Amino acid sequence: MTTTIAEFFEGDLAPLVRRMADRPRGEGGDTDDDRRETRAMVWEGLAGLGALDGTDAVSLAELLGSVLYQGPLLDTLTARELFPDADLGQAPVALAVGSYDDQDGTISARCDFVGFAAEVDHFAVVGGARSALVQAGHPSITTRRHEETGRGELYRVDFADTPVTTWAGPVAWEGARVRQAAYLVGLTQAALDHAVDYAKTRRQFGRAIGANQALSFRLAEMSMHVDAARLLVHDPDASGHAAATLAAAADLARTVTTRTMQIHGAAGMRSDDDAQLYYRRAAAESVRLGTPSQLRQPQE
Amino acid sequence: MTPVFTPEQEGFRQEVCALLCEDAVRAEIAQSRRMPYGQESGLLDVHRRLGKLGWLAINWPERYGGSGATIVEKAIVTEEMIRHGVPENVHSLGVDIVGNAINLMGTDEQKDRYLPGLARGETTANVLFSEPDVGSDLGSLATRAEPDGDGYRLTGRKIYNMKAQHSDFALCAARTSTGPVNYAGITLFLVPLGSMGTVVEPVWNLSEERFDLITLDGIRIGREDVLGEVDDGWQVLNRVLPFERTGLDHSAKAERTLAALREHAPPGCEERLARLETRVRAARLLAWRCIANLHEGKPDEIHSATAKWYTSETAKEVSVAAVELLGSRALLDARDPDAIADGVFDAAFREAPGLTLAQGSSEIMLYFVATSKLGLPS
Repeated sequence: MTTTIAEFFEGDLAPLVRRMADRPRGEGGDTDDDRRETRAMVWEGLAGLGALDGTDAVSLAELLGSVLYQGPLLDTLTARELFPDADLGQAPVALAVGSYDDQDGTISARCDFVGFAAEVDHFAVVGGARSALVQAGHPSITTRRHEETGRGELYRVDFADTPVTTWAGPVAWEGARVRQAAYLVGLTQAALDHAVDYAKTRRQFGRAIGANQALSFRLAEMSMHVDAARLLVHDPDASGHAAATLAAAADLARTVTTRTMQIHGAAGMRSDDDAQLYYRRAAAESVRLGTPSQLRQPQE
Repeated sequence: MTPVFTPEQEGFRQEVCALLCEDAVRAEIAQSRRMPYGQESGLLDVHRRLGKLGWLAINWPERYGGSGATIVEKAIVTEEMIRHGVPENVHSLGVDIVGNAINLMGTDEQKDRYLPGLARGETTANVLFSEPDVGSDLGSLATRAEPDGDGYRLTGRKIYNMKAQHSDFALCAARTSTGPVNYAGITLFLVPLGSMGTVVEPVWNLSEERFDLITLDGIRIGREDVLGEVDDGWQVLNRVLPFERTGLDHSAKAERTLAALREHAPPGCEERLARLETRVRAARLLAWRCIANLHEGKPDEIHSATAKWYTSETAKEVSVAAVELLGSRALLDARDPDAIADGVFDAAFREAPGLTLAQGSSEIMLYFVATSKLGLPS
């Protein structure tokens, strides 16, 4: 399945996918509507190719990171694990993390940094002793898009006595953390590939900049760290160390994307260069399920 | 060495702080950081206020709009402006780099013409060095200045400069002759912007301030617009670089971000904050060592390279650490109503990559220290 999805992302679609949720700022180009269309098309493609089945989800997550996919798929996989009996069909679901009050089958909560809130069919409100599935679009729900470094589709969502359609127990984060770690490994590898390509072609002082050992050794070192992180996320015992693995993948993603920026020089800062895109996406994705220090606290 | 300030200098710092803490100034600074996407501020009222007091270029002679003070007072102004969040690129480009170069190396006519406007905060300037294929290796620049009567015609493309849309003129490096040593034959020109023969196009990037691609299409420049000697631009740059590479701007930025981080960091971050705090203190000391060198008329290239590398890498580390320690909250930008610390973390994170590239990349500083300080083979 992952191979088929990899083929789906190749070719002309790749550059559109990398910016599928990157809001332009003053620079023109594709509009929000264009990007929303891309996201809808990608969702349809992924669902059609079996991405919601939950099989080989770690490899799928790594692939999604490598193409810089942005959408509700990883959240949806977690929600499907959490609410196995809910009739979700192929509907996209967003995780909304926060504490909430519940009474009479409704919930009230304020949740920040909820992904793709404007285009999912359900929210899975998690973080408490119980988890609640609610229908998106209910008049008791209000959303506001965050203005943030990633320029992505992150929202504040307020639930005010919103009816709950399905209850479940607390979310078990292990699966989500391993998938997020795998996503970051894919993203990090893609950023590193971008840096290596540039180091081979960019010439200064009469030779390719990658001919300098100070730079080539740094790239080699990063590639070895990525190699190691990849083994951690695909290890059969990964879920037993999920939080620590995610923290390590998050640290590595920030380090590699920051160095990718340095290698690219000012050219990497340009909006039309992918280096700055990896840098900003790594910032957002690396703390999406908690900061590394939170993740490294003894887990309950 | 801990910078030791005279009571007068300490008093002056308090005066600068008092001005920068005025409600109207704070409101203007906050507003300038919340402009609609694609727009950015140029010179602000606060620049003109400082200019009117003779503080903006305080170390320049009074006849050029300064107060005849020393580089120490100038550094105090710069440090406090950055600590208080005044957008500094428009000031550092105009006064600290271009204006300073004119003050050091310009003719009396050039000083009369350009310095008073810069010192008053009424005009500004930018720097045209980098080209699409020329970054750190300035010796290989391709922009040409061809003799034309008693002047020159400039042809080429300059990129990754900032504030061209607000600038009245620019300091431009162009090749006037070729020879076996590629650093020779470069001349610096003072080029009017917004005139026939220059085309400015925005190049959007991840920071708050756009880059520009400037095409010089045969613009005519007079002989009187050469800064320093023809073919001798490299010497001018070497004279000016120690002023540009004190690291003071970066250490002040690191201080500002760290102060906000300390305020907002959750429990459990104390050890990391303590490490960062020590680095930032060391960064400031390295920067002030360079200021002291300049004050004594003894610029030290190794001290400059050390300060530039250490301070910019420190500022970057603090910015990235803020995201790591604060998580998603650090990513909210100043335009989000729930942004913490006026969005300083997002702005610092997006600015960070440029700090270790501009004014000489970290790699150039490392190479210089490896070869010139440690004596390693080049």
